Amino acid sequence: MKYQVLVALVKMELKKFIRQPANLFLNLLFPAVLTIVFLFAFSDPEMGMDINSVVPGLIVYAVIFLIMTIAQSFSSERQEGLLKRLNTTPMTSAEFMGSQIITHMMISIVQVIVVLMLAYFLGFRPQSGIEGILLSLPVVAIFALSSVGLGLITATISKTPEAATGISFIFILPMMFFGTFIPITSTTQQIASFIPSYYLVDALKLIFEGDWMNTNILLDLAVISIFSILVVLFGIILFKKYGSR
Amino acid sequence: MSSVIKSELEKLNKKELFEIATLRKISIPNNWSKSLIVELLALNVSIDNIPKIKPVPLIHRIKTDSAPIIVIKDLAKKFEDITAIENLNLEIIEGELFSLLGPNGAGKTTTINILNGIMKPTKGTISIAGFDVTKNLDAIKKIIGLCPQEAAVFKFLNARENIELFGKLHSVSKEELEERTDNLLELLGLTEASKRKAGGYSGGMLRKLNLIIGLISDPKIVFLDEPTVGMDARARRKTWEFIGSLKEKKKTIILTTHYIEEAEALSDRVGIIDYGKLIELGTPKELMKRHATKNLEEVFLKITGRRIMEEI
Repeated sequence: MKYQVLVALVKMELKKFIRQPANLFLNLLFPAVLTIVFLFAFSDPEMGMDINSVVPGLIVYAVIFLIMTIAQSFSSERQEGLLKRLNTTPMTSAEFMGSQIITHMMISIVQVIVVLMLAYFLGFRPQSGIEGILLSLPVVAIFALSSVGLGLITATISKTPEAATGISFIFILPMMFFGTFIPITSTTQQIASFIPSYYLVDALKLIFEGDWMNTNILLDLAVISIFSILVVLFGIILFKKYGSR
Repeated sequence: MSSVIKSELEKLNKKELFEIATLRKISIPNNWSKSLIVELLALNVSIDNIPKIKPVPLIHRIKTDSAPIIVIKDLAKKFEDITAIENLNLEIIEGELFSLLGPNGAGKTTTINILNGIMKPTKGTISIAGFDVTKNLDAIKKIIGLCPQEAAVFKFLNARENIELFGKLHSVSKEELEERTDNLLELLGLTEASKRKAGGYSGGMLRKLNLIIGLISDPKIVFLDEPTVGMDARARRKTWEFIGSLKEKKKTIILTTHYIEEAEALSDRVGIIDYGKLIELGTPKELMKRHATKNLEEVFLKITGRRIMEEI
C-alpha cells in the first residue's frame, strides 16, 4: 500500500465531504439540530431518560446516516464513470477501500465531537469525564466501519444515487428505531439484540458512566468489532465483484 | 455534397429526416442513428444504390520495422445474447496512431474497455507491451492512459486538483507533476480556469480536463475514446492539434471518433468496426484506394452501409 496514494485519496474524500453542502447538512448539521431538538424533547427524567442517556443515541444517529452518504457517493461515481477511470490507474483496491475507511472514521470522530460539544452546552456532564469522551472516539470509529460496509452493500444493490438514498433506509431505519435512544420495551429489546447500533449505545452509556470494568462493555465492543469488520469485508467483496462497474 | 446541406440536415429531428428520405425514395432502416442518416442524405445516396462490395482480405499487420505493442488475438465479448465483439484480430505498432471507427454501438468502446482491463473478454487474448491483460493488469496500468468517453472528473475538485490526484495515483513525483500539469493546462487552454471547480465547467472544458487527466502519467500507450465529442469547432481543432503533437512524442495512440475527417488526417492506420467485427483495416490512403473514394468518410459510409444492407 503506497502512503502517497492513500493520502491523496483521503484528501480527495475529505474535500468531497466538505465541499458538498448536502454531505455537510446530512452528517454534521442534521445531527447538530437533532441533538438540540432531542435533548429538549426527550431528556425528561420523568420519562426515565435524562440527558446522559440520550447522548449515546444521538451519536449513533449521526454515524448511521453515513450509510446514505457513502452509498450515494459510490453510486454517483459509478454512474459518472469515475470508478471505471480509477480502476485503470495503478491504485490498488486496498488503497481505495483503505481511504474510504480512514475518511469515514475521521468524519465519525468529528460527528461525535460536534454532538458532544452541543450536548455539553445543553448540560451533558458524563461521569467518566474527559477519559470517557476520548475512549468513545475509537469505539465510534470502529462502528463507522459498518457504515462503510453497509454503504457499499447499498451502492451495489442500487443502480442510481437516487435509489441508493431509498435503499439505505433498509439499514438506517431499524438502527434508528431499535438501536438508538427510543425507549425499549421487552418486545423491542429482543429485536434490538439483533441490531448492532444497540450495542454501541449500550457501550457508550457505560463508557460515559465511567463503568469501564463492566463486562457488558467487553461484550458490546466484541459485537461492534466483529459486526463492523464482517460487514465492511462483505461490502468490499460484494462491491468489487458486482458494484464497481 | 456541400457541408451546408449537412449542417441544415443536422438541425432536423429523426422523423423529419425519414420524411426527406421517403421523398427522395431512399430507404433507411429504422435502427439507424441520426448522424448516420444525415451522412447518407448529405451524400444523397441510398443504401440500395451502394454496390455490393466483395469482402477484402484484412491486412492485420502494417509493414514496418517497429514491433507491435498491442496484439489482439481472437477477441470476443458477449453480453448475454448480444455479441459486442466477434473474432477480433489486430496488431498495433509502437508509436502509431490507430483509429478505430464505427457506427454507434459497433463495439469500439467495448474494445477499449477490454484493452484497459475494465471489462473481461469472453474469449481471446490481448498482450500489451508483452503483458497479458487478464494476468498482468497491474503492470499494464503503469504504462497506459485513458481518456474515457464520458467526462469522468471529480466535479467538486478544480482542474488542478483533479489532475494532481490522478498524477499521484500514478506515483508521479511532485516536481514532475507540477511541470506536466502546467504544460498540459497551458497547451489545452485551461490555465485560467484551473482553480475553478470542474462542476462549473462547460462541456468542452470538461472534455479537455478529461484528456489532460489521461495524459498526466506521460503514458506510453494512450486510449482516447471520442475525446472531442461535445466540443465546439475551435476547441476541437485545438484538441486535434494537440493529439497530433502526441504522435511526435512517439506515443502509441488508440483513438475512437465520429469525426472521420480528423481521423483521416491524423491516423497512421484505421480499423473500421461494425457489429463487433473488424470489417476494414489499413492506412487511410489504402482504404480510399481500395474503395475508390475521395475520402475516408465515404469509405466508412460505403462499408458500414453495405453491412447493414446485407443484414436486412
